Amino acid sequence: MGQGTKQVVLDVQALGVRLSDEFGVVVDRLKLHRGEVIVLDAPSGAGKSTVLGLISGAIAPDRSAKMVHMMSHQQIANRAPGPETMGFVLQTSALVPYLSVEENITLPCQVAQIAADSDWLSYLINGLGLQGLETRKPQQISVGQRQRVGIARSFLAKPALLLLDEPVSALDPSNVDQVESLIALLAEEAGAGVVLASHQAARGAFSGSPRAHHRTEVRGGTLYSVFDAELAA
Amino acid sequence: MKLPLFLASRELRHDWQAAACFIAALVGVLAPLLIILALKNGAIDAMLGRLVEDPANRELIAIGTGRHDADFFKKLTARDDVLFVTPATRSINAQANAVRNRQARKLVRKVVLIPSAAGDPISTTANVAPGVATLSTRLADELEVAPGDTIEIRINRRLNNVVETATQDVVVAGIVPAENYGRSALFIAVQDMVAIERFRDDASVTAEDWAEPRAMPETFASFRLYTRSLADISALEKNLAAQGVNVRPRAQNVELLLSFQRNLNLLFVIIAALAVIGFWAAMASNLRGAVERQRTSLSLLHLLGLTESSRRLIPVTQSVILVLGGVFITLLFVLPSIVFINRFFTPEGFERIAWLGPQHLFGTFVLGLMTAITASMWAVLAIKEIKSDEVLRTS
Repeated sequence: MGQGTKQVVLDVQALGVRLSDEFGVVVDRLKLHRGEVIVLDAPSGAGKSTVLGLISGAIAPDRSAKMVHMMSHQQIANRAPGPETMGFVLQTSALVPYLSVEENITLPCQVAQIAADSDWLSYLINGLGLQGLETRKPQQISVGQRQRVGIARSFLAKPALLLLDEPVSALDPSNVDQVESLIALLAEEAGAGVVLASHQAARGAFSGSPRAHHRTEVRGGTLYSVFDAELAA
Repeated sequence: MKLPLFLASRELRHDWQAAACFIAALVGVLAPLLIILALKNGAIDAMLGRLVEDPANRELIAIGTGRHDADFFKKLTARDDVLFVTPATRSINAQANAVRNRQARKLVRKVVLIPSAAGDPISTTANVAPGVATLSTRLADELEVAPGDTIEIRINRRLNNVVETATQDVVVAGIVPAENYGRSALFIAVQDMVAIERFRDDASVTAEDWAEPRAMPETFASFRLYTRSLADISALEKNLAAQGVNVRPRAQNVELLLSFQRNLNLLFVIIAALAVIGFWAAMASNLRGAVERQRTSLSLLHLLGLTESSRRLIPVTQSVILVLGGVFITLLFVLPSIVFINRFFTPEGFERIAWLGPQHLFGTFVLGLMTAITASMWAVLAIKEIKSDEVLRTS
């Protein structure tokens, strides 16, 4: 598939939120196609997670956005995008504590009432080193394993857009490269566009991926952390 | 609906110790309440049942004397709430000075005479007639008589300071069961009662001719009256009072018992309401606390797209499962306990002292369901406040 025909999975303009009187986060422009990766590489506290929250619709913007992955923002606020549209790997590796590893992985598909691809599920479980842990509860596995469960959960429905919020921050340093490489491989296999928020991307599997421009500026007395990126299709 | 049910049940299973504690608390509140309810139902019903079964408790006793004519008795007889009524003489004349069994040489002094007739709810074994009587078991034992025997009634009067005695032989037609009438008494026909009254009141009647048939009087001073049920007593009493006829129920404790039953019902409702309110508050707090503990999970479910109504269904479903489970386990304890209580603590003569009907069990489930749903409302409201972005920041 030529670059000219790639599907746009994310197209954002002027999406922002003022978190306090003193600080706000804005995405001036962010456009992404399937198979592309954009890294939000900014210092801690710059609002990288907030950008992902805005894109996902979890954080309601106070500025109007023209488009977010082909859905208006109002639509996103009323109805979360399905797992085949968007996957989200959380920094917090949050899992539902009373569900097993496999149930946590398939939960987004259950919520969306879509059938999970069992071959792809097995592939993810094996690829992420979770085999044998399927029936365990989150508190019975390590923090790193939980993070990998979160990754599998976000990949199961082969989403068009993947939002990765510091996906390897909870991992043992020796596993970081391996898991990050796996994420890159899985994203490629899923054909997803990836927005990666990370302050470690300079030395990992995504070290060669393009970065969003980041700057701070004062608008109306409020300091804004501004992200801006548009990759050529 | 399916996913919230799945998530609710899985969370309960995961946190089974908390769920078990909650159910135990419910059983601790509900089981004593149901046993108290069963005892209230059983004991009061048994007492009322006995009162209902005993016709003596349905007697309205005439107070004082009146002039009750045939029309009065005809109207009373026609009433649906009247089981039995028969004319009676003045109470001063309703006593024989003595009753004697000549064969056995037995004599009982001051025997109560009770006018009877066909349909008498007390004297049920045989009908009386002029010269034919029935005896209470106690009097029959004292006189050592049996049906078919003849006894002698002795009636005295004092005339010009001279005591005259009239006698009459009557045939014993039957013995009134002791459970119907416990004291010494002779049940005789109204005609014989009238003859006794005439002998005592009318000097022209002699001891030789007093028992000869004469015309019945146009009015009677008194009556024996029984209602068909306990519930009829009050209305009939008021109806007679409106006619200027004063009566009093023989079993004045019936009204007391009915009043006691009403008060007991009220007391039980108050106790149950307090218990339910306390339990409701505990349950609402517990469910609200559970929402707080599961805040991150609920935020994650929000982020993953589970609708607000589905998320709100989770605590409602859990509440219903816990309460219905608690009610079910309570019944597993209570029903055998009732069987045990009835088997080992029922006094002689009572069928049972504890009882729960289908309506009580159904009511318990319905009340439990209502409690479960309303108690979960606080948790339901709290879920609305949990945003999907919380999980982005919560570790």
